[in-house]
Amino acid sequence: MMRHFLWKDMIIIVRDRSEMLVLLLMPFILIGILGFALGGILGGDTSTIDIEVALVNEDDREAGVTAFVDLVENFELPVEAKEELISVAKTLNPGLLLEEMLSDQELSEMIHTEEMTEDEAQTSLQSGDIDAILTLPEGFTYKSLEKMVFSEGSGSQLSVMLSDQGSLYAKIFSDMIDGFARNLNLETAIIAAAGEDTAQLGESELTGSNIGGIITVSKNAPANSMQYYTIGMAVMFVLYVAGTIASKAFVEKQQQVFNRIILSGMHPSAYLTGKVISATALAFLQLVILFLLSALIFRTFSLGSADFWIGMMIITLVLAFCVGGLASLLTSLSIRYETEGVSSIFTGGIVTLFAFAGGSFFPLTGMPNLIIQLGNWTPNGAAMTAYLRLVQGYEWTDLMSPLFRSVIITFVLLVISIIIFPKRRSVTS
Amino acid sequence: MLETEELSKQFKGKIAVEGVNLHLERGESVGLLGPNGAGKSTTISMISSLIKPTSGDVLLDGKNVIKDPGKIRRVLGVVPQEIALYEELTAYENLKFFGRIYGLRGKALEKNIEEVFELVGLTDRQKDIVKTYSGGMKRRINIAAALLHEPEVLIMDEPTVGIDPQSRSHILEMVRELNLKKGMTVLYTSHYMEEVERLCDRVYIMDHGRIISSGTKDELKSILSSEETIMIDLDRPYPDLYNDLKQHDGILQTMETETGLKLIVPKGSRLLGELFQIADRHQAKVVNVHVQTPTLEDVFLHLTGRKLRD
Repeated sequence: MMRHFLWKDMIIIVRDRSEMLVLLLMPFILIGILGFALGGILGGDTSTIDIEVALVNEDDREAGVTAFVDLVENFELPVEAKEELISVAKTLNPGLLLEEMLSDQELSEMIHTEEMTEDEAQTSLQSGDIDAILTLPEGFTYKSLEKMVFSEGSGSQLSVMLSDQGSLYAKIFSDMIDGFARNLNLETAIIAAAGEDTAQLGESELTGSNIGGIITVSKNAPANSMQYYTIGMAVMFVLYVAGTIASKAFVEKQQQVFNRIILSGMHPSAYLTGKVISATALAFLQLVILFLLSALIFRTFSLGSADFWIGMMIITLVLAFCVGGLASLLTSLSIRYETEGVSSIFTGGIVTLFAFAGGSFFPLTGMPNLIIQLGNWTPNGAAMTAYLRLVQGYEWTDLMSPLFRSVIITFVLLVISIIIFPKRRSVTS
Repeated sequence: MLETEELSKQFKGKIAVEGVNLHLERGESVGLLGPNGAGKSTTISMISSLIKPTSGDVLLDGKNVIKDPGKIRRVLGVVPQEIALYEELTAYENLKFFGRIYGLRGKALEKNIEEVFELVGLTDRQKDIVKTYSGGMKRRINIAAALLHEPEVLIMDEPTVGIDPQSRSHILEMVRELNLKKGMTVLYTSHYMEEVERLCDRVYIMDHGRIISSGTKDELKSILSSEETIMIDLDRPYPDLYNDLKQHDGILQTMETETGLKLIVPKGSRLLGELFQIADRHQAKVVNVHVQTPTLEDVFLHLTGRKLRD
C-alpha cells in the first residue's frame, strides 16, 4: 500500500518544475557559487582572513641548541666540521624558522598568534575564541636538529589542533603549517643532496630526514569550502522536502482527495505513514543526487573510497528519516488546522533559521553557545556535524553523538505528529 | 437500505444541520435539493462518515455505522463538490492510484478502469494529465474515481457545478444509466432544480439545515395544487412594479426572473386583468404572459420564500 503513495508522490513532485528547481537546481547552484567564492578568497584577497592561533610552546629552544652543540662536541670530528654543523644547526633551527614565518609582516596581518598554556588554549578553542592551537612539544628543537642533521632519533612533531565544524580559517592555518614542514624537509633534503651535509653522512641516510612532520589533531584535513557548502546546502535544502510534502498534503485535504483516500477505508494513520515514507525516500534521493553531482562535477568527494560513501549513505539515511519525521509533523499540523500557513512559514522562515543555527551558511565557531546548542538539535545541524566529522576522518564513535541526536529528533517529531493527527476514524469532528 | 435518524451537526455552537431524517431504498434515485448553505454537503459528509454527527444516527441495512464507518465506506462511492484528483497525474494514473487504495489489483483494476473510462466517455484522453482537461472533463473523471470499486450507493455532491451544458448533459445521462441499468442507489444533491427533476424519483427539500419537505416529484408539486404560476415577461426590469406586486394581497409569492416576473397566485383568482392594469400604471411593456402548473422550483419558492439560487 505504501509503495502506491510513494509512487504517486514521486510522480507529482518530479512533474512539478518549481519543486524540482527548489529541491535540486537551487542547492546545486548555491554549492557552486559559495564553494568557488570561498575558494577565491583562499587564493586571492587575504584582507578578510583573520586567524586566531594559540601557540603552546613547551620547547626550550636555547636549551635544545645547547644540548645539540654538546652532542656535536662529543663526536670525534675535525673542529671545522663541528663548527660547520653548529652553524647549520643554528641556521636550520626549526623553532626559529617557524617564529620568523609567523612574524612575517604579510602573514601576521592574517594570523594572530598568542602564546598560551595548554589549558588556556584548550578553553579558548572550545569557546571558539581561537581557530587553532599550534603546539611545539618538549624537546622539539633538539629532536628536530638531531633528526635533520644526523638522521637519528624519531624527530619531533608539530601539533596543530583545529576547531570543530571544519572552520575554513583553521584549514588555512593547517595548510600553512603543513607547507612550512614540507619546505623545511625539502630544504634539508636539498642541502644533503647538494653535498652540503654537515656530518659526512650518506645521501641515502639523509633522504627523508625531517623534523618529523606535523600532526593535525583534527584527525584528517578539515573540510574544504566546496565540501563544506555541499553538505551545508544539501542539509538545508533537504528540509524543503518536508515543506513540500506538507504543502501537497494540505492541497489533498483542501481538494478533498484526502477524504477520498479516507473513504477508501484507509486508516488516517496509514495516510500519515505514507507521507513519512514519501518524504524519507525523496529526501534520501535528493541528498544522494546532490552529493554525487557535487563529487562528479566539483570533485568535492573522492569517489574511490567505499568506506567513506558507506558512511555518507548511513548519515543520509538517518537524516532522511528525520526529514520524514518533520514532514509528518508539518502534515499533521496542516491537516489538523486546515491551513497552508504551516508549510509556508516553515519553508519561508524556519528553514532559513535552522540553516543558520545548523551552520549551513558559515561555521558556527565564535557564535554564542546557545545558538551552537540549538543548531545541534536541528535535523540539519545534527546531520551536518556528522557529515563534517566523516569528511574530516573522525572515528565512527565520534559520529554517534550527532546521529543519536537525529534519531531522538525523529522520534520526538513522529510522536508529536501522531498525537496531533486526527485519530478518530471520522476525520472531522 | 440507507437512512438517517435525527441527524444533527453543530459547528462551534452554530447549527448546520438539525434533525434530518431521510432514507434511500435500494436502487432508488433520491434528490437532496436546497440552496447554497442549506446543509446538504454537511448532511452527506455525515452519511459518508467523513464528519461525525453531533447527534443522530446513520443506519446501513438497519445497522448503525457511526461507530464503525468501515461498513459504509465499503459500499459508498462519493463524488465530492471539489475536483478530488491529482492534477499533475494523468487520468489513468489517478484512477490506478485510487483503484489500488480501494484494494483493486491486476486485471480487475485494469478492467474497472477501462469500464469507467468508457462510462464517462474519456477513453481517448486517459493518458492526458488532468490539469490539461476542461472543467467538464475533470468532473467526469471525478465521478469515474468514485465508481472504480463498483459501489452500491453513489452519493453526488453538486457534481455539475461550473461546467458546460454538453458535459452536464453527459453526466446526467450517465447517472440515470447507472441508476436504471445498473441498479445503483443514488443520492444526488444539487441546487439545480431541473437536474433533480430529471434524475430523481424522490426529493428532499432542505433549507437552513432542516428538511422542509419531501416526497415524489408529483407529491411535492401537489403542495401547490391550489395555486398556479403566472410568468410575466417584460421588456426590462421595473423595480416599482415588482414592489407593488409584492404588496398585493391576492399574490402569494412574487419573484424576479431573467425575463420578468414570476407570481404564485391562488388557482382561479382571475388576476390577469388587474395585473395588466398595474403594469400599465407603471408604464411597463408586457412582452408575454403565460399561466403554468407549478414546478419544483415553485414549490421551493412557496416553502422558503426564496429562489434556489439565492
